[in-house]
Amino acid sequence: MADDIILETRNLRREFGALVAVNNVSVRVKAGSFHSIIGPNGAGKTTFFNLLSGTLKPTAGQVFFKGKEITHLPVHRAVHLGIGRSFQITNLFPNLTVMENIRLACQAMGRDNFRLFRSHRAFRQYEERAWEIMGKVGLQDKALMLARALPHGDQRKLELGMILAPDPQLLLLDEPTAGMASEQVPELIALIREIQTSGKKTIILVEHNMNVVMRVSDTITVMHYGEVLAEGTPAEISANETVQKAYLGALYE
Amino acid sequence: MQSTIPPTETGREALRLFKENRGPLAMLLALILFPFFVALLDGQGPTAVLNNEIGNARFLQGLLIEIFILAIYALSYDLILGITGLLSFGHAMFFAVGAYLTGIAFKSFGWGVGPTLAAVIVAGIVQALLFGLVLPRVKGITFALVTLGFASVFEIIVKSNEMVAYTGADVGLQGVVVPAAWLNTSNERFRLYLIVLFFTFFVYLVYRRFVDSPTGRVCIATRENEGRAQMLGYNTFYFKLTALILSSITAAMAGFFHTVHQPIVSPAVAGLGWTVAALLMILMGGIGTLSGALVGAAIFRLLQFYLERWFGGNATFLIGLVYVLLVMFVPYGVVGTWQARRLDIQRGRERLLRLLHLRP
Ligand SMILES: Nc1ncnc2c1ncn2[C@@H]1O[C@H](COP(=O)(O)OP(=O)(O)O)[C@@H](O)[C@H]1O
Ligand SMILES: [Mg+2]
Repeated sequence: MADDIILETRNLRREFGALVAVNNVSVRVKAGSFHSIIGPNGAGKTTFFNLLSGTLKPTAGQVFFKGKEITHLPVHRAVHLGIGRSFQITNLFPNLTVMENIRLACQAMGRDNFRLFRSHRAFRQYEERAWEIMGKVGLQDKALMLARALPHGDQRKLELGMILAPDPQLLLLDEPTAGMASEQVPELIALIREIQTSGKKTIILVEHNMNVVMRVSDTITVMHYGEVLAEGTPAEISANETVQKAYLGALYE
Repeated sequence: MQSTIPPTETGREALRLFKENRGPLAMLLALILFPFFVALLDGQGPTAVLNNEIGNARFLQGLLIEIFILAIYALSYDLILGITGLLSFGHAMFFAVGAYLTGIAFKSFGWGVGPTLAAVIVAGIVQALLFGLVLPRVKGITFALVTLGFASVFEIIVKSNEMVAYTGADVGLQGVVVPAAWLNTSNERFRLYLIVLFFTFFVYLVYRRFVDSPTGRVCIATRENEGRAQMLGYNTFYFKLTALILSSITAAMAGFFHTVHQPIVSPAVAGLGWTVAALLMILMGGIGTLSGALVGAAIFRLLQFYLERWFGGNATFLIGLVYVLLVMFVPYGVVGTWQARRLDIQRGRERLLRLLHLRP
């Protein structure tokens, strides 16, 4: 395997009963690239992410991260290898503050998890790191608000902050702009690009907004009924007739 | 301006600890003085307490010891359910193992207090590990049912005729003699009162510390959203196991004091009813608040005591009625509701200050 491939799947497959949600998906993602996955609702994009992050086990096939097989990795290990994953449906600690949500993400990377009888406030490094992350995603002024009290757009930012905390090399972003007001989308996308270029990170993005995808991606994978329909640069994808018929056409008609 | 800055780091730390725990410390002091106060009201001299004289002061100390023991037990349940989000229907076993083990060690094996305490703590760890065996495999209500299974097996063993020589089977363990004169509840009531009181506060403060620690914060995160906690990189199993071990040791210690204070162990403490009692106490006090467990234990025991005294046979029905009313009208428990209100009051005050331009 080439050194510059950070993530690879081989014939990845997942069935739900009779439904094949992900069907023989083989994808290679270049380190440092911005790789988008598009496809209509129900195409299997979220399921694919679940297989990558260990949330679901595949029926068949393999996943490799930096050349090492991680197919059967327990969920809690992924982040320690450098894989961060955000969710399409907001997935936070709703009754904890913004600070605590991000601080917990920072604490997970340290070695103080089993300090039973000292206040967590004594471990300043996690708070400081959390503060820094909150600055990055623009949530410092809401640090002490409960996550559930945040407006939806800010919850998406918090979600992003939580996966940035451990400084992952690979970010799996599942429709990070889902449900956001359209005028907030460019800001978040700019932030994601900033994170990618300044931190030399690899991004795999699932996104519905075609303009965004075409503008920011290095590579696009099109999924349809669980299968990879096409893969290529934005120019190649918009020129691809099969894709036009199956997906883009439907959107732009 | 601050006039008295403690000179050393240790001094500052001590001052901070004192300030943080001002409420509990005041309560502790009040409870230490309480028996003397009652003795004075009764026209006995304060020495009556020290001399273990018969009277209200002595009687109320007995009742309070029972409340403290219940409070320790309720705290242990709040740690796994209210803080960590683990629903166990087998919690009574944690208590009963401590109670029976203490009784059997004293009565059948003639062990002293030290070895018995050590055995109780070891048993507490072992039974938590037993529950921990199924922890990674079953979640939610299934965990509750599996733990109920464990506890039922224990209850059956305790009640079985094969064990009658040790446990007294259906009748329960009777005639336990505490092998230490200084711990005798009849002759040394005030000393036992102080020991159990201090232990209760010790457990409470340790628990508060734990909940505020890095480990405790992850337990809370696990309760809030376990999948997310795993995704952040926490192997939640170890955090739940830690909470279980701490809880189990605590409950077993409550069982130990139970046997010391009333040397009869009824098999009722091994049954589902005893788990429900823990649940009721933390529901009434305020689930996940810790101090609610203390309040709930007091309500639980006092209700039972006074309603039985005033209404005799009808008390059970009335107690049930009060529970229903409390759960309906104070849904977050006494402490939980008070905390929510306090937040409202504080918010309202801030809004007012802002309206009046007293705050930016
Ligand atoms: N846990 C599940 N159980 C059963 N079916 C599922 C499950 N998760 C997803 N599916 C099905 O798999 C298909 C792909 O879903 P998903 O991966 O969420 O698609 P996408 O994210 O591309 O919209 C859908 O038909 C969906 O109903
Ligand atoms: Mg999806």
